[in-house]
Amino acid sequence: MTPRRPKIVGFCCERHGLDSPVAAAKSGITYDASVRIIDVPCTGRVDGLHILKALEDGADAVFVLGCLEKNCYYDTGSIEGRKRVEHVRSMLEEAGIEKERVEMFNTSSTMTWRFPEIVSKMCDVVNRLGPLGKEGDEQ
Amino acid sequence: MKGQIQVIGCKSCTEIPQLIDMNKLIEKASTMDLVVSTVLVGAVCDSKSIKQVVQEAKEREVDRVVVLACPKKVVNPALLAAFKKAKVNEFLVEYVNIRDEVVLPHMDDPPRAQAKAETMMVAALQKVMGLKPLETLKEQMRTRNVVVLGGGASGRKAAETAAKTGAHTIIIEKGTKSFKAPGVLMQNSVLLKSKGYGGNFVLTIRAGEKVEELQCAAIVVATGGGWTRLNGPLAKACKSALPLYELDEQIRAGKKMEGPIVIVDSPDPAGKSMQVRDYAWDESLELAIELKRRSTDSDITIVFQEMRAFGLSELRYKEAAELGVRFIRYDATGIPKIDPKEPNVVSVKDLAQGETIRLRFGTLAFASIPANDDNEGIADTLRIPMSPDGGIRHGSIQRGPVSTPRPGIFICGSALFPKTKDIAEEEGMVAGELAGEFASKGIIEYGGSVAEVTQEKCSACLTCIRTCPYEAPFIGIANKAEIRTQACQGCGMCVGICPSKAIELRNCTDDIIMQETKTMLRGDF
Repeated sequence: MTPRRPKIVGFCCERHGLDSPVAAAKSGITYDASVRIIDVPCTGRVDGLHILKALEDGADAVFVLGCLEKNCYYDTGSIEGRKRVEHVRSMLEEAGIEKERVEMFNTSSTMTWRFPEIVSKMCDVVNRLGPLGKEGDEQ
Repeated sequence: MKGQIQVIGCKSCTEIPQLIDMNKLIEKASTMDLVVSTVLVGAVCDSKSIKQVVQEAKEREVDRVVVLACPKKVVNPALLAAFKKAKVNEFLVEYVNIRDEVVLPHMDDPPRAQAKAETMMVAALQKVMGLKPLETLKEQMRTRNVVVLGGGASGRKAAETAAKTGAHTIIIEKGTKSFKAPGVLMQNSVLLKSKGYGGNFVLTIRAGEKVEELQCAAIVVATGGGWTRLNGPLAKACKSALPLYELDEQIRAGKKMEGPIVIVDSPDPAGKSMQVRDYAWDESLELAIELKRRSTDSDITIVFQEMRAFGLSELRYKEAAELGVRFIRYDATGIPKIDPKEPNVVSVKDLAQGETIRLRFGTLAFASIPANDDNEGIADTLRIPMSPDGGIRHGSIQRGPVSTPRPGIFICGSALFPKTKDIAEEEGMVAGELAGEFASKGIIEYGGSVAEVTQEKCSACLTCIRTCPYEAPFIGIANKAEIRTQACQGCGMCVGICPSKAIELRNCTDDIIMQETKTMLRGDF
């Protein structure tokens, strides 16, 4: 039996966050297919609920990807997003789940290397910590 | 809603059919519930294909569409326009970016890419069923006024360019400067208050003794640098010192300055970390050359730590040195000082010689461009953010070159950060052009995917009002939050933060996001 592949959810903002994988694709960089991109208008839209629900539904790691903090399309959106993510991280720590599984990143639409870098980083985290939940627990 | 979905597959980019099986994908789509029509076209951006697709949509009475192609920004807008004509609501068209999110990045593993594309399609089909048809509304702009704050170099240029696009320009000038400009020049006037949104601003302005209200469609902030008040020990010790631009004006007006002339970079030369506003600018070189040309025996010294002279203006160094202008460079170990007992001598340690030099001067000028003190008040009134060094901050670069985060407000010149006159003028031109274009549209389009309050759930905690960068939420008559739809940009920040979950972003509800996540996670790839 092949080992279970990591399941990673990425909430990407519609502006720089979604331009980043496009820039990576255009420059011909390949990355792990286990990332699932969910588009949100702005990282400020991401609620702690969405992240927790994603972990409940079988994600091993979740990342939120927004604009650079000084170049956010909606001015303070990515700062708001980071606050939510930090809140979720502290909640996970209290619940005994490794907080490294949830992370916030910033990018810009010209940083071609950034998205593959983030994906490989999150894959490393899952490979190191193992899948979330019980062994052999399939969704 | 009936829910008849059309799935469009595009194989425009030659890589797509080679790396994943589009036919299989479309076949799978045709077996899904509610899918009434599937089309695989050569290129969805092609006008022929658009006709074919829309014809099919009309025949099958389609009301929802899933496009498997490129990102939404890249797909030809003509497709959306054609669907609009075929009575398909534009907010019910969902794009799946299989090219950049699946095909290209996963080309080394085609089976996984195929599975991922399928999962993304299924998720999009589910999502599109959750969407509701929305409408964009239009509002007339009440005026075509463009207000320019500040009558400096960039402000004047902005007014000139905006006037060329057909806008009526109003320059609000703090001082008594008088110059030729199109439109109206209001002297001795200050911005007091502002309300409204891009297209329909209402500004309260004090002009002389009167306070009046002014309606405008767009605003250009061109407050410039803060030359009016010199701060720092050098300016305190030598009361007769003046900023470079004033010296420039006096010389050009024909006034004979008392020699020798010393130009120091900053009135507050610091051993601390340097900022752009402490730099000397290439305008000091130009002024020195001008003075030397007028009379060769004039004695000019430029004392500086860093000089910002880029591009061809670097040649001015050579030119100035050849004409006999003295350059003294210092660093943090020996900053220029003026003894208050001897207010016409500046002593500075020359970096080249390592010795302290005493310079006797008749006229002292400062070349740096400090931040304007008015910036804070203006940023506060217009609700635009400030940068940490006292300037006004740019908006996202995706909004445009001289934009602020608020649509309809543009910014140019040294209000952003120090820059020379010609660059400030160029920026003024761009800002004027953009503001004029914004105003000459004449209508504001709003609505669509914006936030909405369920008033029964609202507890009027004001969290949304504090969070929104656009002042869209407000407390209405019923003591509950309401959203000013014209101002809402659809970012959803208030939705995420609302503690009673009373606000909802249309077509991007919690259910839609969580359902999409669930479907994507169910796929095995």
